[in-house]
Amino acid sequence: MAYLISEEAQDLLSDVKNFCDKEVVEQCKEYDVTGEWPKELYDKAVEQGYQALEVPEEYGGPGLSRVDVAALIEQMAIADAGFATTISASGLGMKPVLIAGNEEQKQHVCDLVLEGGFGAFCLTEPGAGSDASAGKTTAVKDGDEYVLNGRKCFITNGGVASFYCITAMTDKSKGVKGISMFLVDAGTKGLSTGKEENKMGIRTSNTCDVILEDCRIPAANLIGEEGKGFIIAMKTLDQARTWMGCVSVGIAQRAINEAVAYGKERIQFGKPILKNQALQFKIADMEMKTEVARQMVAHSLQKMDLGLPHTKESAIAKCFASDIAMEAASEAIQIFGGYGYSREYPVEKLLRDAKIFQIFEGTNEIQRIVIANNVLGKF
Amino acid sequence: MEILVCIKQVPDDSVEIFLNENTQKPDLEKVTPVVNAFDTYALEMAVRLKEAAGGEVTVLSVGDDSVKNSLKNCMAVGADHAYLCKLDDYNETDTFTIAQSLKESKEEIEKQTGKTFDIIFCGKESTDFASAQVGPVLAEMMDIPVITGIVDIEEKDGGVETRQETEEGYHVISCQGLCLVTVNKPKYDPRYPTIKSKMAARKKAIDELDTAKAGVTVLHTEKVYTPAKRSAGVKIQAESAEEAVAQAMDLMKKAKVF
Repeated sequence: MAYLISEEAQDLLSDVKNFCDKEVVEQCKEYDVTGEWPKELYDKAVEQGYQALEVPEEYGGPGLSRVDVAALIEQMAIADAGFATTISASGLGMKPVLIAGNEEQKQHVCDLVLEGGFGAFCLTEPGAGSDASAGKTTAVKDGDEYVLNGRKCFITNGGVASFYCITAMTDKSKGVKGISMFLVDAGTKGLSTGKEENKMGIRTSNTCDVILEDCRIPAANLIGEEGKGFIIAMKTLDQARTWMGCVSVGIAQRAINEAVAYGKERIQFGKPILKNQALQFKIADMEMKTEVARQMVAHSLQKMDLGLPHTKESAIAKCFASDIAMEAASEAIQIFGGYGYSREYPVEKLLRDAKIFQIFEGTNEIQRIVIANNVLGKF
Repeated sequence: MEILVCIKQVPDDSVEIFLNENTQKPDLEKVTPVVNAFDTYALEMAVRLKEAAGGEVTVLSVGDDSVKNSLKNCMAVGADHAYLCKLDDYNETDTFTIAQSLKESKEEIEKQTGKTFDIIFCGKESTDFASAQVGPVLAEMMDIPVITGIVDIEEKDGGVETRQETEEGYHVISCQGLCLVTVNKPKYDPRYPTIKSKMAARKKAIDELDTAKAGVTVLHTEKVYTPAKRSAGVKIQAESAEEAVAQAMDLMKKAKVF
């Protein structure tokens, strides 16, 4: 247990571990093969209230610090990164509202999550990935309503969300300053979900297109002000990236756990393979890097809790942790040898799961740009 | 229906435990204390009975301050009230004394609250010492009927109807009036505490009772030792059942089982 967490979070952590051991680890092996979104599993997770961990106390949430929540999310990620992603993406869906929404909007999304709903954050479009400003989705004001049209893609929880925070152009001539953020409830006429991605990893997480066809929403569903959508989205990602670092650390930790357990049992040349210093050094390197990534996640979250700037720290946490998750998963496969390459053993899944964390919520190349910009400043 | 559930805090039985060579006792220093598994089944069954028949569930344990955490965990999964009968060396105390402490505690709770318990639940045994005595001894001390090893219960005609598991099948046993049941593993698992129920339980008070019968233990442990390791069994793999049976018979003949 490397996060320094409160006594109550330690207590909750043992419950989460117990839940994951009994309900998630084994079950997700099967779902990883089928690619099915395991509703039954998520119903149980909702019963425990896991999707609402990030709801602030003043809106009915549990009132845990972010580092406390991180310890719980990491435990979920150790069990299955897709499971942790679904849970964490619900927090992501709420963030634009919590950052810039009014009281009514905040209470509305928090109530939806507390009732068992998931949130979804819709920024990416087919032609607007790293270049979020190239989005083509539009929002046109018509009396007391906005009319939204466009297509969002790669939306986590897209097919299962209760509400969506969607970026759309309200004034194309202004570039990123013409982007606004809107809150749209599931079931709103004109909002539908399209193609579900058949993904390489995190297969227990739902990812699909969200389509807007003359989707009319009350003007009151604008989050913040017109033209502030890009800033809200960036602030959202500034926070959310650390959480993806947290899930990445969980993958890396699982890689260590599996490699250690297997390496103690696997006998070659008459002794367990982990009696060889070459492999002990691999474990030491995996542990060093994972622990450093975890502490970077904790540092970034603590800065968030203190209301301090955290853009650079969040980018470092996400970028470093996801690179480490890839490395640890790959090393775990190496320690397993030929068995590691087999789908019968748990480590190849970790590599498939880890890869997306170098890509989404800003590719690691974008993270390095963010970090460099923060270091260099204007010159 | 007013229900009393007696629980014991035990070392986590899902981890391997070794003998400490210096103390010649089980090395429990790094082992997490948990609620005895059979007591969690008893609590779940009691809470389900409460949900069906109404009333409240009170949990009671004999132990030191650390047991309060286990009692709070019980409150997170459906118990309404929790009492700790303070006894620091509860693990050195024999089952007779524990039962006597539970009896005194039950009477004290009834005196303090004005309620009268209709039924008492215990796990069928603890996972640490596994004597399976506390429940039946407590019933005997209170001079009430005891039904051991039940796997199901429901309210019937003002009393209860239980299913007791036996090696051959089930006994259906009914009881009117106050009785004690000990609980075996039912078909369902205990519910998980939710984030909300856990946070709420942590804020609830655990009432302490000064009803322990300390210093009257008559049973003493002479020696603690690690059980001898069992040798690996023989695995028979054969084409047909007939052949497998023939091989098994042959092995047993050689071992002079017959």
